[in-house]
Amino acid sequence: MKVRVDPERCQGHTLCAMSAPKVFELSEIDGHSSPFAEDVPTDQEDAVVEAVRSCPERAIGVF
Amino acid sequence: MTAPDTTGDDARKQPRVHFDRHAPEYRDRFEEQTREFHSGCPLAWTDTYDGHWVAAGNRELLAFARAGEKLSNDHDIHDERRGYRGISIPAPPRGRGIRGGFLEMDPPEQRAYRTALNPYLSPAAVKRWIPFIDDVARACIDEKIETGRIDFVDDLANIVPAVFTLAMMGIPLKKWELYNEPAHAGVYTPPHSPEMARVVEAHMAMIRDIATTLQEVRAHPRPGLVDALVHLEIDGAAPREEDLVGALALLIGGGFDTTTALTAHALEWLSQHPGERTRLSGERDTLLDTATEEFLRYFTPAPGDGRTVAEDCEIAGAEFKEGDRLWLSWAMANRDPQVFTDPDQVDLTRGGNRHTAFGLGIHRCIGSNVARTVFKRMLLQVLDRIPDYVCEAEGTVHYETIGVIQGMRHLPATFTPGARLGPGLAETLENLQQACDEQGLAEPVTVRKAEAKIH
Repeated sequence: MKVRVDPERCQGHTLCAMSAPKVFELSEIDGHSSPFAEDVPTDQEDAVVEAVRSCPERAIGVF
Repeated sequence: MTAPDTTGDDARKQPRVHFDRHAPEYRDRFEEQTREFHSGCPLAWTDTYDGHWVAAGNRELLAFARAGEKLSNDHDIHDERRGYRGISIPAPPRGRGIRGGFLEMDPPEQRAYRTALNPYLSPAAVKRWIPFIDDVARACIDEKIETGRIDFVDDLANIVPAVFTLAMMGIPLKKWELYNEPAHAGVYTPPHSPEMARVVEAHMAMIRDIATTLQEVRAHPRPGLVDALVHLEIDGAAPREEDLVGALALLIGGGFDTTTALTAHALEWLSQHPGERTRLSGERDTLLDTATEEFLRYFTPAPGDGRTVAEDCEIAGAEFKEGDRLWLSWAMANRDPQVFTDPDQVDLTRGGNRHTAFGLGIHRCIGSNVARTVFKRMLLQVLDRIPDYVCEAEGTVHYETIGVIQGMRHLPATFTPGARLGPGLAETLENLQQACDEQGLAEPVTVRKAEAKIH
C-alpha cells in the first residue's frame, strides 16, 4: 500500500496523525500532514485506512 | 417544505424550508429538524433573515469548502468592495460592530493573517504549553475540591481556556475576568435582555483593552499573538488598526466560549453515563482521542458559519446568484447519516469520524489544537481528582438560543471532597505569569521549542 496527502486539500485537521502517528507527520508550523514515506508498512495499513476514513477534507489517497 | 413555485427567482430557490436557528425552540428541535434536512433537502432555501441557503449535508459542505473564490467570507463594513456581510446571519446592522478578523476576510489577506499566527497554534506549538494548562486546571479544582461542590462552567471551563488564550496572546493573565465576561455573556445574552446594556459596556471595555494592548506591545515588545499581529504586513503595508483589533477579538471569541461549551456538554454527558465515564477514564490511552472527536461531532459548539456567493455558479447541484447568502451548518452535517452510523448516538470509540466541528476548507478553526488540548487536560483532571461527580439538573443552564454557540451558563455538580494539591487560582496565576515572562512561553514554535517549566 502507498499513501499520499493532497497538500491542496489538507487543512491541518490532524485526525490522520491520531489514527496513524507512525505514518503521518504534522508540520511543526501549521499542522498540515504529509506521510513520512509513501510506502506504508504492512502493520500500519489498517491505521492508514482509518486515517483515510477520518479525514474531513478527503485529502488522503491510498493506491 | 412547501410546494415549489416554478416562476422567477423562486424557481431556483428550492426546496424551501423554514429554518430559524436563533429561535429558542431550535435547541429542542435540533435533531428532529436535522433529520428533515437529511431526509430530502440537505441544501435548501429559507426565507428567514432576508432569505438564505442552508447546507446541512456533509457532501454539500465539502463541495462548498472546495468552491474557492465562488464563496466569500468578506465583511465589507465600509462598503469599499461588494458590500458583503461576513459570516453572521443575520448580519449585524450596517455601521455597527467590527470585522470579525480573518474569518471575515478572503485570501490573500486572510492567508497572511493565518500564516503569521499558525506557528503559535500548531499541534507542536500547543503541546509545549501542557504543564501550564495543567496548572491552571489544577488550581481551579483546588479552589473547590475541599467543598465537594463545583460549577464546571464558572469554576473550571470558563477559566482555563480564558487564561490560556490570554497567555498565548501575551496579555497579562490577571485580566482574564475583563475578557471572560463579554466573551461569554456577549454570546448568550438575548438582544432584548435588560442585561444587554451591561454586556455591551463589558464588550467595549474589552475592545478598549485590546486596542491599548496593541499600543503597549508596539512600544514594549513582548512575545505572543499580539506581537505577531503588530508585525504583520500585507503587500508591504500594515493592516488597519481596526482589523487588528477584530483579529484579536476573533481569537478571544474563538478561544473562550467554544471550548467552555464543549467541556461543559461532555462533562454533563459523562455524568449522565457513569459507565462510559469509568470506561473512558480506564481506557484513556485508546479512548481519549476518539471520545474527544466524538464530543466535538455530537455537540459541535460552533454550529455553523455564513458565506456570500461571489459569482453566479452551480455548486452541489444548486444554482446560485452572486450575492446569495448561505449558512454552512457544521452541526447538522455532523449528524449526516450518509457519513455517521447512528448519528444521534454518542459512541466514544467511533471510527471514520470525519466531523466538521472545526469547519472545512481554508477557514478551518485555527485554534483547533488549542481546543482539543485544553479540553483533554481539563477532562483528565476531573476524571482523576473528582471521578464520582454528579451534575445537578436543577441549576444547570443551557444557552437559551444556540444560533451562535451551543453553550452552557452553569453546570453545578457535587462530589466526594478531596485534598488540595497546590495554591489557589490567584497565586497560581502570579506564578504562571512569571513563567510566561521569564521563559518567553508565548514565543512561536519557530523560536522556542522547549516545553513550559512550571514549579
